[in-house]
Amino acid sequence: MATRAVPAARANLGSEVGAFVRHLDYLLLISLGAVIAYGLWVLEAVTRTDIPGDPGYYVFRQEIYVGVGAIALAVVTAIDPEAYRRFGRVFYGLALVLLVVVLAVGEDVRGTKRWIEFGSFRFQPSELGKVLVILFIAGFVASRARRLGEWRTTFAAVGLALPPILLVFREPDFGTALIYCGAVAAILFFTGTPWLHLGLLTAVAGLVAGSVLWFLPAAGLEVLEPYQRDRLIGFVNPDIDPSGTTYNVNQSITAVGSGGLDGRGVAGASQTNLNYLPEHSTDFIFSSLAEQRGFLGASILLLLYALIAWRGIKIVALAPTFFTAAVAGAVVFAFLFQVFINVGMTVGIAPITGIPLPFVSFGGSSLITSMILIGLLQAIQVRGRLAGRG
Amino acid sequence: MALRIAILGILALTVFSVLFIRLWALQVISGERYLEDARNNQIRAFRTHAPRGSVVARDGEVLVSNVPGTLVQLWPAALTDVPLSERDHMLRRLARLLRVPYAEIVQELHARENDLLTPITIKESVADEKISYLLEHQNDFPGVQVSETYLRQYEQDTLLAQILGYTGEISKEQLEARAKDGYASGDRIGQGGVEAAYDQYLRGLPGVGRVLVDALGRVQSPRQFSQMPQAGDNIRLTIDVELQRAAEDALEYGVRLALEDGEWAANGGAIVAMDPDTGEILALASRPTFDPDIYIGRVKKRDLKQLADPRNNHPALNRAVAGLYPAGSVFKPITALAALEEGMVAPDELIQCTGKEVIDGQTFMNWNPYANEPMNLRVALANSCDTYFYQLALQFYERQGSPLQKWSKRMGFGQKTGVDLGPEERGLVPTPAWRRRYFSLPIDKIWTSGDSVQLSIGQGDLLVTPLQMTRFYAMLANGGELVEPHIVKAVEEPQNEGEPPVVLRPYQPKPAKEVGLTPTNLSVVQQGLYDAAHEPYGTSAGVFGSFPIPIAGKTGTAEKFVRLPGYVGLRDQAWWCGWGPYAKAKLAVCALIENGGHGGTAAAPAALKVFEEYFGVEPGSYVTTWRESD
Repeated sequence: MATRAVPAARANLGSEVGAFVRHLDYLLLISLGAVIAYGLWVLEAVTRTDIPGDPGYYVFRQEIYVGVGAIALAVVTAIDPEAYRRFGRVFYGLALVLLVVVLAVGEDVRGTKRWIEFGSFRFQPSELGKVLVILFIAGFVASRARRLGEWRTTFAAVGLALPPILLVFREPDFGTALIYCGAVAAILFFTGTPWLHLGLLTAVAGLVAGSVLWFLPAAGLEVLEPYQRDRLIGFVNPDIDPSGTTYNVNQSITAVGSGGLDGRGVAGASQTNLNYLPEHSTDFIFSSLAEQRGFLGASILLLLYALIAWRGIKIVALAPTFFTAAVAGAVVFAFLFQVFINVGMTVGIAPITGIPLPFVSFGGSSLITSMILIGLLQAIQVRGRLAGRG
Repeated sequence: MALRIAILGILALTVFSVLFIRLWALQVISGERYLEDARNNQIRAFRTHAPRGSVVARDGEVLVSNVPGTLVQLWPAALTDVPLSERDHMLRRLARLLRVPYAEIVQELHARENDLLTPITIKESVADEKISYLLEHQNDFPGVQVSETYLRQYEQDTLLAQILGYTGEISKEQLEARAKDGYASGDRIGQGGVEAAYDQYLRGLPGVGRVLVDALGRVQSPRQFSQMPQAGDNIRLTIDVELQRAAEDALEYGVRLALEDGEWAANGGAIVAMDPDTGEILALASRPTFDPDIYIGRVKKRDLKQLADPRNNHPALNRAVAGLYPAGSVFKPITALAALEEGMVAPDELIQCTGKEVIDGQTFMNWNPYANEPMNLRVALANSCDTYFYQLALQFYERQGSPLQKWSKRMGFGQKTGVDLGPEERGLVPTPAWRRRYFSLPIDKIWTSGDSVQLSIGQGDLLVTPLQMTRFYAMLANGGELVEPHIVKAVEEPQNEGEPPVVLRPYQPKPAKEVGLTPTNLSVVQQGLYDAAHEPYGTSAGVFGSFPIPIAGKTGTAEKFVRLPGYVGLRDQAWWCGWGPYAKAKLAVCALIENGGHGGTAAAPAALKVFEEYFGVEPGSYVTTWRESD
């Protein structure tokens, strides 16, 4: 493992480092840098008037997170992903502990417990948990590579994934729990789990969703918080508005639509500036971007995302091992899923679930985690290229 | 594996395609519409209420005025971001602070679910220290706003409570009915009495304009008026405050007399005092009454419940215009006039007044069972001999075309007087045709001689309002003209204090209607009513006999089937109607005491109090002795 600058005397190590650096996916790095820079620019414009007298409040903090994230990315890139397999159980235990702790001591914000407070910083365990759970489940499935066709393996993987998912669901953080589900599904998918198993799991998931949303409430059993159910049903049928929950969606759609082709500019974005858009620095930042910069500004972001997704898919194909393919697949799928849910929510084609927009929404946990995930992809890319060449 | 990666690629392609298409649809295709929405979002049309006009009495005393007050409102949109538990806590705190039921606030919030940007009025007229508390703790009360408004102030306590009416927020039904007259939701309009009848003058023109607001409804720009508010006009009533006060006191006095006389059910009534020549109402009292202040600020459900409670005998009902009563003997002059005009009886024709009369097998009593002497019309009116009128009734019964009913209608009964104060009852003059229409049993459909007998003395199915009766006696007093009663003298422009009022629109009553009575016939009835108040055999001579101003008038004791809490049966309604001075009438008065017993005992003394005030006669400066009679 080459984690530090290496003395020139050790020439073979030096050439190894050279090969390592050569094999990095620079297009991915460039698009990542571009999306982060674009995100900072958007955040600055959106939050300029939020804290009177301190227009740079959010951007300054986000820049610190970018710095921390960059270090994390470099570290993760340098580590051989296969090494994580040994610590799978540790990761899993850590994730469970963090998710239990947040439920116990987490800060109660509007009826949800998602954050642990450290001084003036807040840490969201479910974000880091995403990385840990992906690594553990991928490791678990990879270790049973020869028994992949068996029902037992599939069920065991799903069974192990359920505790953290339910803990996140319990916070409650419906959106992040969905991302977890997506990531686990992606792991099974890219480790070659038989189609029959996948089909059955999909059917079960559909059945669970149906019961949670309609069948159980009809029988008098409420699984979801009332506001969650309202939002989900409100998304399906926005014209019926039982308790004003689609107010946010309608304001968001109005904001996006009013941006037009080239946007209303920072000063003219009344939906953002007059607070018609809730949470415009985090969950609804895409609406603000679309209002201020229009279709063109929003398209730039989506194209950058598409670029990252394309590079990610290439890395899945290049992954040298079972384990790394599963990790890369889960990372790419989770990323796609998160972009779709968040952007879709702001334009009214996905339910309101309150998950951040990767690299753009304000918040350290999400930003750093997303960068760690990109670091994982880079590490896999490099190992894949090295293995392919050797 | 390659297949699965291809699927991931297709999935990614799909995700981005869907998002791009959706964005294109929203921003490029429908962008204009959403831009319009976004602009409308921040522009709030506002209305400011204009100061409402005052209501003043005949001589300028202020009856209802405006005082500036504070208004606490809640913007529902501001609560969408507040978590439920916090919102609940805040609303409970607000409810406690303002003493408004928490449940009512929640109920109104629910009603506004689809209209988050229109504020809910939590309370009007809030004490200063509570306002400063709210302003100091603004952060604890998201969405709560304090603004200025105008409040009605009743300057004469409970005086004229039913006549003045009150103001309240316009209801959905009212809004639909008068959408064209420039009313809008949230407007305060007159909800009864003069406030309602003259709302179009009193309300003025609301200010209308636009303002920029943020999502919490907080104003972000100066207000731009497209129409400045214009104060409403004043209304001057024909009411004489002193006479009104005397009339209200007289009602209370009459009820007390009735109670002292053992009429335990006496609990209300009405007095009307009218200028017999013009129809101007100088006093109009209705009892029981209530405190109109309950309609100021937030109306309490408890108060409204009390108003509606039958045990309180409907204080909000204006009995003078909307109370229906059998007339009893105060109706006899109508029978007399009709009989004279129809040539059924000559003024000097003598008819035996007996203690009872058997008609078609049914016995009808005279109020005085010992009477047995011949009487002419004048004496029969003064003495109120029932059996005399039974004889006339039999003649009416024989006649075709219901002449008594026809004359009753010509003299204003069974129809609205047209007074500028609603809602008015029209009463009922029963006819054979009405009986056929109204009843379902064949036996009830037949008009019998008994019905004619009952009608001749103002009983049976006949129903009149005190105002109709007052107008009739005003007609007797003014020589045969039916005037249009009214309570408003003029609409005036509001002036600064000390400046003379500027009349914008004097009230123009419809010209008085000539009933078409022969002067000699009218004169006989007038004399009979003068005798009733002066001759020893007159029914109210004990009350008016030695009053320095010559008064003419008639008592009435009308049996009415009543349903009281704990009692169902017949009770006597005490009436007295008349005018003075006899020859050159200045004032016509009707007094009615509900369940008050004999007209001479309860109603006549109450009417006397009104005359005393009007003519400035000191009570006790002359002798009164009254006795029980019909």
